[in-house]
Amino acid sequence: MKFVQCTSCNAPLAEAGATRFPCPKCGHEIRRCNRCRKQSVPYICPQCGFRGP
Amino acid sequence: MTGSDIEIELCEPLVPVEEYLAAGVHIGTQQKSSDMKPHIYRVRGDGLYILNVQGTDERIKTVAQFLSNFESPKVLVVTSRQYGQYPAKKFADTIGGTAVIGRFIPGMLTNQSLSHYIEPDVVLVTDPIGDRQAIDEAVQCGIPVVALCDTNNMTGYVDLVLPTNNKGRKSLSMVYYLLTREMLRLRGVKTALTIEDFETEL
Repeated sequence: MKFVQCTSCNAPLAEAGATRFPCPKCGHEIRRCNRCRKQSVPYICPQCGFRGP
Repeated sequence: MTGSDIEIELCEPLVPVEEYLAAGVHIGTQQKSSDMKPHIYRVRGDGLYILNVQGTDERIKTVAQFLSNFESPKVLVVTSRQYGQYPAKKFADTIGGTAVIGRFIPGMLTNQSLSHYIEPDVVLVTDPIGDRQAIDEAVQCGIPVVALCDTNNMTGYVDLVLPTNNKGRKSLSMVYYLLTREMLRLRGVKTALTIEDFETEL
């Protein structure tokens, strides 16, 4: 069984507070777990290299 | 149009830098947060932190592009700040989104039994400090959050930061005007709106 993983830390998106949204630049799906959102851990789009938040 | 023309168009600011400076979009606060460090350009003699205008301009384009990925009625604009209420309402009305101005009633995104319950796909907040309730409820629902952040804001639970002065009347008008203009441009709609249409009257 394969879990959907966070783009920043590769943790499975199991708990509440996680989200997924299209990359603001290219539309590739970005996934953020609750911990990365809370601590504002940067994410990098694997397709276009956009760096957020 | 050649590739270099497209690149030039992408690099051009939405409005001249002088207009950004006149609106005070770059003016921060006397506090800075570690989260906002990458967006801070310098500190002025009087202790005010100054935001990078080029970064703000790029982020306005990015946020407009991001919000365009969602259906218009599913975009929720939240502002409790007095000076942000008029431009936010105007922005929401123009793009066809939903606006919650003034007090954000708890449960609006989480309590289905409330009459004013709504289910947006994305939330745009004017100030992460003042609009904390909206962010908390968006997190509970797993909705992405876009926020206008000043130098003193923490960006916890914010998925896309728009670094700008979120306290000034003219600054908020300018940012919401440019967001509206850019979103309409991406839809291929021409508009006769001006920045004066977004300014809150004193």
